[in-house]
Amino acid sequence: MTAPATLTGRGPGHAGRGPGLSPAGPAARPRVRESLFRRLTAAPRPLGRLLVVTATVFVLASLLTFALGALSDANPAAAVLGDLATPADIARMEAQFGLDRPLYVQYVTWLGSALSGDLGVSWFTGVPVADSIAQALPVDLSIAGLALLLAVVIGGGAGIAAALHSGGRIDRTVTLVCSVLSTLPPFLIGIVLIVVFAVQFGALPTGGYEPLNAGVGQWLRYAILPAFALSLDAAASIARQLRTSLVGALRENYVTGAEMRGYSARRVLFGHVLRNAAGPALTVLGMSVPVILGGAVVTEKIFNLPGIAQLSLQAAERHDIPVVQGALLVTVAVVLVANVAVNAALAALNPAARRNRGGRARTAPAEGGGA
Amino acid sequence: MRVLRLTWRQRSARIALAVLAVVAVLAVAGGAFAPDDPLAQHPADMLQGPSAAHLLGTDYLGRDVLSRLIAGTGLSIAGALEAVAAAMLLGVIPGVASVWLGRTVEWTTQRAADTLMIMPFTVFAIAVVGALGNGMHQAMLALGVLFAPLYFRVTRAAALGLKQAQYVEAAELMGASRWWILRTHVWGKILPTIAVTTAQTVGQALLVVSSLTFLGLGVQPPAPTWGGMLASDLGYLAQQPWAPLIPGAAIMITVGALNLLADAIRDSGAPTADELGKPPRAEGTAPALVTEDREPLNSPETQGRSANRATPSEDPELPSEDHANAAATVARTHIEQPEEAEHRVTTG
Repeated sequence: MTAPATLTGRGPGHAGRGPGLSPAGPAARPRVRESLFRRLTAAPRPLGRLLVVTATVFVLASLLTFALGALSDANPAAAVLGDLATPADIARMEAQFGLDRPLYVQYVTWLGSALSGDLGVSWFTGVPVADSIAQALPVDLSIAGLALLLAVVIGGGAGIAAALHSGGRIDRTVTLVCSVLSTLPPFLIGIVLIVVFAVQFGALPTGGYEPLNAGVGQWLRYAILPAFALSLDAAASIARQLRTSLVGALRENYVTGAEMRGYSARRVLFGHVLRNAAGPALTVLGMSVPVILGGAVVTEKIFNLPGIAQLSLQAAERHDIPVVQGALLVTVAVVLVANVAVNAALAALNPAARRNRGGRARTAPAEGGGA
Repeated sequence: MRVLRLTWRQRSARIALAVLAVVAVLAVAGGAFAPDDPLAQHPADMLQGPSAAHLLGTDYLGRDVLSRLIAGTGLSIAGALEAVAAAMLLGVIPGVASVWLGRTVEWTTQRAADTLMIMPFTVFAIAVVGALGNGMHQAMLALGVLFAPLYFRVTRAAALGLKQAQYVEAAELMGASRWWILRTHVWGKILPTIAVTTAQTVGQALLVVSSLTFLGLGVQPPAPTWGGMLASDLGYLAQQPWAPLIPGAAIMITVGALNLLADAIRDSGAPTADELGKPPRAEGTAPALVTEDREPLNSPETQGRSANRATPSEDPELPSEDHANAAATVARTHIEQPEEAEHRVTTG
């Protein structure tokens, strides 16, 4: 009961100021039509609505992916046989891959079988695209997952440190490092890491990959450099965002109230402030998922990892359209799943949402604020 | 235009513009300054360090690094500019149109922007190049398409705010045509915002272009680009561990100057992309500019804070959260206006 008492002092004042800012006023709360990202990552929406938006975006993305293939003048016969292709060959192979049907039939068939896990077969090797991707995707997912984890740890730590010493030397250092990181091409960090750790010290391999089931230690030896290189950029965004919102949150009255009540600094930070300030940082984290996945492409090349990028780069060179489309579609699906996950995390973090669901509004759980 | 004049008064803006002017000169007339032919191979001096003959050393084919760096400026910068121009065209026009052309256009353009936002740059660029052929124009078109939502959101947010302005409403009442309103009231107001976004986006685009050329997308091998130089240095790290730093520094200085410029324009009074809508997103980079007031999502996100403030008895359905937040962050009040405007527009 203590915490609500602290909050009451401030609540009405703010609620009262609301209408002043908005001529529409609370009574005219409209149905908001917002961007996907805000919807996915902003105030928790009912799950059904979130899924509808996600599905719409997925369909649009699949349409775009399919359109790339349709706009392409590549065809399997020309791609495989080159100059040797006769008109008869072209017709035969187009029929074989179903390219002689109307476009909308092709699209519906393609999307339908993609949803059931069948992405077609490669024009060149005849290997099912889904199989190639299933082989390559774990590489990216494990690297990107480790990168996200590192980004949260590094970015979270730096952001908290900077906010606690706001205006001090640590704060300035963090800000400076973040600014420098954002002017660097991300893969340059990877190259520097290779030079330092692999070439100079010889401590870690310069590239390659060991799957996770070969042993965590072995996997980590290969994954740590690429993951670290990938994570720094997201870490910088998270640190910046967390610093900003923490500095704001630390000035709130409830912090003074909690301190007055004799709570330890740690309890105030992790129990109250971080929980409130973590939302925007979590959103940034959600937005860095496509960035990290995209960056993984370049990182794969630097560290010579057998991931999706190598797969789709090779396919792109040969105009192997089914593979290229499959890789793009799967990547988009991963990003969308990550967005839904971030949204769920935000909902879990937000006491108001729990109240909306009829849950109990807990006030001081030490959850580490989503870190 | 006042904003641009104010920008010029800032020292950081002048420094940034000076750096960018040098880069522009190198990009346009690089060949005249290059001490050597960027494609000429000297097998006798492969992988040499800096010397009088080769100021920045030579690469694995004995090509002069300085000459390649200068010659690569043109392709790298031209690529970034092409992508940004495409993004501007694809973003600004639908951005303004989505405000004035009714709900169907509004809904369609917004969902399209949502979709493009989730596409990872490199994977999409690889797919485009794979489908449409490996050329600079295809690769830059792909980037332009993916950068377009940035312009779309910024323009749309600015235009939404303006549409609610009383003088615009008055002009509408008096029978002014949309076109007239756009020219007279809207265009000049959103221009500084577009300028900030452009400075930012060119920097981001340059980074993505270097990623793409690093992968070999958009360029054919002998032609020098900054990203391509990094790629070729990668194979010889044992011999020349410092070599990647040279093209890396070129990219850093240029992007840094662009960020500085965007910062200066923003400080002169133009609302930023962040304040108006979405934060810029780019492959592997976070926007450098906004260190202080960067809030990726507008109001509802920070509402952990306001939710805590609410008394338990308060009806959770009350919309006060957003407003409370707006009040809490004074710096962001003008973000809320487009927000509010959007609410009203969509409810008709």
